[in-house]
Amino acid sequence: MRKVAVTPVRVSGAALLAIAGAMLISSVVAVVDGGGAGFDLLVSALITASIGCALFYGSTVSPTADSALAFASVAWSWVAVSVAGALPFLLTGVIPWVRFDDALFESISGFTCTGSTILSDFTSVPQGLLFFRSMIQWFGGMGLIVLAVAVLPALGIGGLELIASESPGPTADRLSLKVRDTARRLWLLYGLLTGLISVALLFAGMSIFDAVTHAFTTVATGGYSTYGDSIAHFDSFLVEAVLIAGMLYCGASFSTHWHAATAGLGAYRRVSEIRWYLWMIFSAFVLLVLVNAGELDWVENLRESVFYAVSLGTSTGFGTSDYIAWMPSAQVALLVLMLVGGMSGSTAGGMKVLRLQVVFRYAFRELLRARHPKAVIPIRMGRTTIEEQVAAKVVGFVLLYLGLVVIGGITLAGLGVDPVTAFSGSVSALGNAGPALGEAGPTSNFLVFPRIGRVVLMSLMLFGRLEVFPAMLMLVASFRGLSQIRRRRG
Amino acid sequence: MTPRPPVRASAPALLHRLTAKVLAGSGSFIERLCKGKIESASGVTVGAVWVLTAPVFFLCSAVDFLDGGPDYFPLLVCGVIVEIAGLVVVRFGRFPSTLPISRLFTAVVSGALAALSAVTFAHLATGTSIAVDVALVEAAATITGTNATTIDAEALSLGMISFRAIGQWLSAAAIIVVLVRVLPHLGVGGLDADGGVATRSARRLAPRSGSTMARLMSVYVGLTGLFAMAYLLAGMPWVDSVIHALTTLSSGGFSTRSGSIGSFQSGAIEWVAILGMLVAGTSLPLMFRAMRRADLHRFVRSVEFRAYLGMILVVVVAILAWSDEWPTVASIRHAIFATTSAISTTGYLSSGLGTVPFGGEALLLVLMVVGGMSASVAGGFKVMRFMVLGQYIRRELTKSIHRSAVGKIHLGRSSIGETALARIIGELFLATMILVPVVLLFAADGLGVEGAFTFAVSSLSNVGFAFGDAWPLGHLNSLGALGHLAATFLMLVGRISITPVLVAMGGIGEPTQRTIRRWRLTKRDEIVR
Repeated sequence: MRKVAVTPVRVSGAALLAIAGAMLISSVVAVVDGGGAGFDLLVSALITASIGCALFYGSTVSPTADSALAFASVAWSWVAVSVAGALPFLLTGVIPWVRFDDALFESISGFTCTGSTILSDFTSVPQGLLFFRSMIQWFGGMGLIVLAVAVLPALGIGGLELIASESPGPTADRLSLKVRDTARRLWLLYGLLTGLISVALLFAGMSIFDAVTHAFTTVATGGYSTYGDSIAHFDSFLVEAVLIAGMLYCGASFSTHWHAATAGLGAYRRVSEIRWYLWMIFSAFVLLVLVNAGELDWVENLRESVFYAVSLGTSTGFGTSDYIAWMPSAQVALLVLMLVGGMSGSTAGGMKVLRLQVVFRYAFRELLRARHPKAVIPIRMGRTTIEEQVAAKVVGFVLLYLGLVVIGGITLAGLGVDPVTAFSGSVSALGNAGPALGEAGPTSNFLVFPRIGRVVLMSLMLFGRLEVFPAMLMLVASFRGLSQIRRRRG
Repeated sequence: MTPRPPVRASAPALLHRLTAKVLAGSGSFIERLCKGKIESASGVTVGAVWVLTAPVFFLCSAVDFLDGGPDYFPLLVCGVIVEIAGLVVVRFGRFPSTLPISRLFTAVVSGALAALSAVTFAHLATGTSIAVDVALVEAAATITGTNATTIDAEALSLGMISFRAIGQWLSAAAIIVVLVRVLPHLGVGGLDADGGVATRSARRLAPRSGSTMARLMSVYVGLTGLFAMAYLLAGMPWVDSVIHALTTLSSGGFSTRSGSIGSFQSGAIEWVAILGMLVAGTSLPLMFRAMRRADLHRFVRSVEFRAYLGMILVVVVAILAWSDEWPTVASIRHAIFATTSAISTTGYLSSGLGTVPFGGEALLLVLMVVGGMSASVAGGFKVMRFMVLGQYIRRELTKSIHRSAVGKIHLGRSSIGETALARIIGELFLATMILVPVVLLFAADGLGVEGAFTFAVSSLSNVGFAFGDAWPLGHLNSLGALGHLAATFLMLVGRISITPVLVAMGGIGEPTQRTIRRWRLTKRDEIVR
């Protein structure tokens, strides 16, 4: 059989195979639980696996590889898994076929670790499906391509470029000389953490099902819960404490965690980003406490302020209460947290603290230059100096990011959503946070947006998770690839 | 030798000669006064601003006296005090022979602060506002051309109304002076964050900066007169026409009525205002060239002007498309009015601004941020800078595929250097960094989320109206003293742009920073030892 040499097809096939695995595990869970949906999950696993196999084994990687190709591969495979992830929702009948776009929304919100939901009645959803829903966040958190690079032997494409276009942050850290080892170490750490948090949640009083599903979505900083009222359902201080610790840990860079685990805690001190990250969350916490001082009694105030500062500062989006009832300034602070998000190289979304840091330094340098026009001032972060090219890329990213927030907000407002909901929805979707302000708060669902509005949100989520550039360039690269093929034939 | 062509005694030529004389006269007057011992650019600027604004007090006092209003005496006394203070400061000061850039920044900022203090003084003395914070924010709105006020315009005396309107008009004139006289000295490293395009285009008008200034000023004065006539012809009472012409052409926005332009309930007046606002947002050098040669094609050739008009068109169409009703002549007029009012940062309200759809609100907010063309008197970030940013993003996207691509950013025929590019970006980020804490403060001080954000943006862009609960002009009333101070700061920052303000403040910050750095270095040395 002649194989088609199209890298995106092969990478998509690999990603689909991973998702088929997730479906299979969920179907086992459903069968064990006995709540139904086991067969439907199995069927979707089979469909996904067969398509995945066809794509993976029917194609090879292109002989030439460049960054555009890597971008396109990652972006297309995310589109493919999002579509596949919608299958179980439709097949189980939880979301009717006529609302297929809602199933896609739920799937994309899952894979991108956003955690916005359109489900309103959680009691009628089979446990197997809820498990699958949490599991896709878990897969999306560390990245499917990273998994594929780690597990599949013959992806055959330069790995780091691929990982760099998938992993959050401007650059990808190498944890070892071999890219495959890097991917393996990341997933190892990820898996260990998930186990650890599950056990901790189990001890905090959750059932084993809740513990595992919530561990999945905590590690991925996704924010899907198996209950409609999210973490408020448990009303347990211990559970919240475990989740706060988990979110805070996973909102920080995994490669730093790896260094810290292997070479001692000094690794944390060497990264200036982590200081900024913790300072930001801490100052948001102090601000929330101050603002809410007159509104809530102080134990509740401390508890909710710290939970929301961490939950939105890491773009997780778990909820313990309705912050829409809080003072406007608290809401503005939460919105800023959503916009910035966690550290680069973590599972968190948002613009990333590192980029904020670069932008700060960049702007500050211009200020110094205005005073001393001929000074040569490097952009320093901690002890490292950022290259001009990297700084320019980061600045371009931030501009594009803010531009997308504005475009998304305008489009949603144009569809008739009130401006606060529209813009916060846009920030939340692009930052993969989950809840927004206005009508789309933590206790309501995203059905408040019109149908086309949800399509806009979906694309924003994908843009946000893939960090804008790959998603922007996927079509460019694809067109280029198509025209190359045509030229070769002609 | 070719004979000199006879000088035509047309109205524009006369106006030009007159403005040139006034400008040269006031310049040499200040120069003759500056014979003191203390070398200080800031001091001379402060004194000059006071000396030159005092006549406004006298004029408005006379207007109020003729009108029989209560404020003529306080205004007269204020004028005398300001004049004396100015003369004293100027008398002891001397313009330094060499001037580092940071001093020039400080001079610009202190000039603005001098104007702010004089206008605050007038507000307090006439009893227009009793609290200091309210007087400050009213003064800031006056000198930055923002239509945000806590005062009911109809309760003001004619003297105060004309004082505020002339204040807005003069501050816009001061922007032209800064454009021609100060910016060229700063080069691209200064206020002029569009790669020197605006400055260059202004400088090309005439070989000497004095005559450039006279030319631009005469365009400004002439247009103001023209629009006063137009308002009069459209059916406005003559006093109102003059006041509105002053605040339209300066993109200020103060009105004689509390309902702004809309309270006249006249389509013709609103069309005149639309045209005036459009002109206020257009580059003055561009208009001068087009007028001199009667060459309207210059407008078409200007990339920035095309973008400016294009944006207005797109937003008008979007507002009409998103509203629930079929467009009528009135609704089209209201849409165009709101759009031009936002992009020219004038802040007038038409009679139908209560009916903007949600999407329209969002777009108007974006237009406020964008602002008018560079080298215009409008506020905002300026169309050209956004065009440059768009090109920059495109270049970075290209670079992420083609690693070693070298892209130079062109805008029309001029190319934007890397330094200017960095400055534009720095300016945008610095403004955002200032904006976020102020939004937090506004939200804590009595505004809702939407109101806080939109009013902060509106103040920074010197517009005036904002959205949210206090729509359209109630935001300042809902804020407390802290909010008023923050709004004052934002308006000033919006008018003289963020870098000079921060650099002037950095006059304090940099020595401190140096001390800290030295301390840290010594600490590290100790550790090494």
